Amino acid sequence: MTITETTGSTHTIVTICGTLDASTAPDFRNSPAIADPSRTVVIDLDKMDFLDSSGLGALVGVLRRKQEANATILLSCMNPPVRKVFDITGTCKLFHIFDDTDAANDYAATYLRGR
Amino acid sequence: MAFRLETQNGITIGIAELDERLDAENSKALQKACGDWQQQTPFLVFDCTKLDFIDSSGLGAIVSCLRRSLEKNGDLKLAGLNAKVSMVFELTKAKKLFSIFSNASDAAASFAASRQP
Amino acid sequence: MPQPPLRHPGNHNNAMKTLIAIKEQHQSWVRDAFPNMHPLLLPLCNKPFIEYLIDFAILAGSREIRLLSDGSLMEIEEICQTGSRWGVELTYANIRPEDGERELLHKNRKFCNGSRTMILNGYTFIDYDKRLDYRVLANHSATGPIASCSTGSIAFAGSPEPAADDNPLPALRITPLDSLRSCYHIAMQILETGAERYVLPGYGSEPGCAIGRNVAIAKTAEIRKPVSIGNNVQLLPGTIIGPMAVIGSNVIIDKGSSISGSIIFDNTYIGEQLEIEGRIASGNTLIDPESGASVAMEDPHLLTGIHSATNSATLLRKTIHALAAAILILLQAIPVIILYPLLRLQGKWKNGPITQQAGLAETLAARLSLDRFPLLPKVLLGQLAIIGSAPRSNSPGCRPAVFSYAEAEDWPVTGSDAAIVERYHAVHSTPFNDIGMTIKALINRPHKRNAGAAA
Repeated sequence: MTITETTGSTHTIVTICGTLDASTAPDFRNSPAIADPSRTVVIDLDKMDFLDSSGLGALVGVLRRKQEANATILLSCMNPPVRKVFDITGTCKLFHIFDDTDAANDYAATYLRGR
Repeated sequence: MAFRLETQNGITIGIAELDERLDAENSKALQKACGDWQQQTPFLVFDCTKLDFIDSSGLGAIVSCLRRSLEKNGDLKLAGLNAKVSMVFELTKAKKLFSIFSNASDAAASFAASRQP
Repeated sequence: MPQPPLRHPGNHNNAMKTLIAIKEQHQSWVRDAFPNMHPLLLPLCNKPFIEYLIDFAILAGSREIRLLSDGSLMEIEEICQTGSRWGVELTYANIRPEDGERELLHKNRKFCNGSRTMILNGYTFIDYDKRLDYRVLANHSATGPIASCSTGSIAFAGSPEPAADDNPLPALRITPLDSLRSCYHIAMQILETGAERYVLPGYGSEPGCAIGRNVAIAKTAEIRKPVSIGNNVQLLPGTIIGPMAVIGSNVIIDKGSSISGSIIFDNTYIGEQLEIEGRIASGNTLIDPESGASVAMEDPHLLTGIHSATNSATLLRKTIHALAAAILILLQAIPVIILYPLLRLQGKWKNGPITQQAGLAETLAARLSLDRFPLLPKVLLGQLAIIGSAPRSNSPGCRPAVFSYAEAEDWPVTGSDAAIVERYHAVHSTPFNDIGMTIKALINRPHKRNAGAAA
C-alpha cells in the first residue's frame, strides 16, 4: 500500500493505492494528515483494490477521532467491491461518499469552511 | 375467570370474564367451568375485554360452550373483543355463530330485551 | 420508415439521468412489519416497489439510473444487478441520512455530468401511466420539485429545454408509502386499474387476471377477477380467490378457504375453511391494514410461514461449530471443575467482565474464558454459534454466538462499532476461518480486559 498526501489550505487529499488490511492499517494511521485529528481529509479510494475488516476498523477509528476534533473524512471514487464492504457493515452512513474526487474537494472546501 | 350472576327482567344471566390468554393450556378448564355455569343458567355472556390471545383450541372451547347453551335453549354472547381476537374469529368464520357486543352490559341487556313480550 | 425526431436536440451526449434516493427513516415501518424483507422489494401487487421506480425512470427517458440509500443495497444489487434486464445502466451508491437534494447531486457529480437529472426522493408511490410520455415532462419541467408528499418528492436538476409546443405536461400524483394501510390501498388500486397503467408480472388470457408460473388450480377452485397470483402457488379444492386478491409466490391456500380484498405475501400457508377478507397475511401473521392490528398465529394449521429447508452450507457450519464447542468443553472441563466451586464460594463467579482486583483463580478463569463455559452446550444444540455476534444481540441477519468477531479483532467490544465488524464477518466468514477467529477470540479477550483495566 502506498499513501500520497496533497495538502491544501482547508484540507488534505489522501490517495490510497493498494490494500488496506491488518498489515497496512498502522501505516495508514501514522500518515500525517490521518494522524492529525483536527485535519479534514478527502480519501481517494480509486486505486484501493482491497479493504478488510481491520482496514475498515482503522478508517472508522480515524473518523471517530476526527469528528471529536470537529473534522471529518470524505471518501471518493470507491469501486464496487470496496463499496460492498461499506454497504454490508452499515458504515456507508458514517462517511460522506462522493463519486468524484474534485466534487469531494469542492465540498470540503466550501461547506466545511462555512461551518 | 371471574363469574357472576345478574338478574334482568326475570332472566338470570351469567357473565364470565375471560383471562388474557385462551389456548391449549386453559381451554379445557374453561369448558369445565362453563359446564358448572350452565347448571345455573343457559344465558351466558363471555366478557373478552382482557382477552388478548386466542388459538384454535380456545376457539373450539368457546364454540362448544355455545353449542351446549343452545341445546338448553339459551345463548352465549361475546363482548369486548379486541382487534386481534376479533380477527381470529373472522378468519375461522366463528364470528358468524355469535352475537357480539362492544361491552358486557349491552350483551346482558340484549337477553332481557329478547324476553320482552 | 422515417425515424421519429430525437427528443434531445440540444444535448445528444447528455441523456437524462435519474437518481433514486431512499432513506431508512421512511422505511422503518416495513422493517418492523416484515423484518426479513428489504423495503425496496416490498411487493405491490406482486411487483417489487423498486421496479415501479425503475419503470418510471425509463418512461421519463433515463438510460442511466443510480440508486442511493443510507442503508444496505446489497440485496437489491443482487437482484437488479446492472439493470440490463430493463436495458438501463444501474449503479449503486450510499448517502447519509441527513443529506438533502444538493448533497445528493454533489456526491454524484460525476454520474450527473451536468446533464438533466431527475431525482426520485423518498419512499413514495408514483401514480404513473405507462401509456403517457413522461420524456416531455422530464425535458421541459422547470428545475426544482414538480410533485411532493409527506415522504418524498420528484425533482429535476439541470437546465430544461424550452418547451417546443403547447402540449400540456402529464400530471403526476405521488402517494406516501408510509404504513401498512397505504401499502394495502396502493396494491389494491394497482390491482383494480393496474394492467393498463403499469407493467405487471404474470400471464392472463383476460384482463384483471394475472397468473404466474407453476400455479396449480384445483377444478373446484374458483377465481373471481381481479386477481394477481404469483409463482409456485397451489389453490386446493373449494377455494375462492377474489375478487380483489393478491396472492404472492410460494403460497398454498388449503381446502375451502376464501380470500377477498386481501394480500397474501410470499411463503404463506393458509389453512382449511378460513375466510380472509380485507387483510394482509404474511407467514403466520395476519394484519388488519386499517387498524394496523396484527396477530401471530400459533396454530400451524391456520396460518404458517413456508420455509425452505436448511441448506448444506448451514449444516456444515453448524457441525463445525458444534465440534469446536465440544473440544472447548473438554478443554475447559477440568479448569471449570476446579475453579467453579472456589470462585462460587468467594461469590466471584459471574458471566461478564472480571473486576480489577482479581485473585489468582479469577485471573485464571478470565484467561481461559471460563465465563463463556455455560453457553457452550447451546452450541452443541445448535441454538448458538461458536463465533458470530455478541450472545445477546438479536437483530435480523446476526448470528448470536458464544464469542463475537469483535472480540477476536482489534475492535471495540461494545457499542455500535462492534456491530460493524460482526456484519463484515457475517458476509465474509467461512466455517473454517470461524475456527481461526474463535482461537483469536480466546487469545485476544484477556488482553483486551487487561488493556481496559490499565486505561
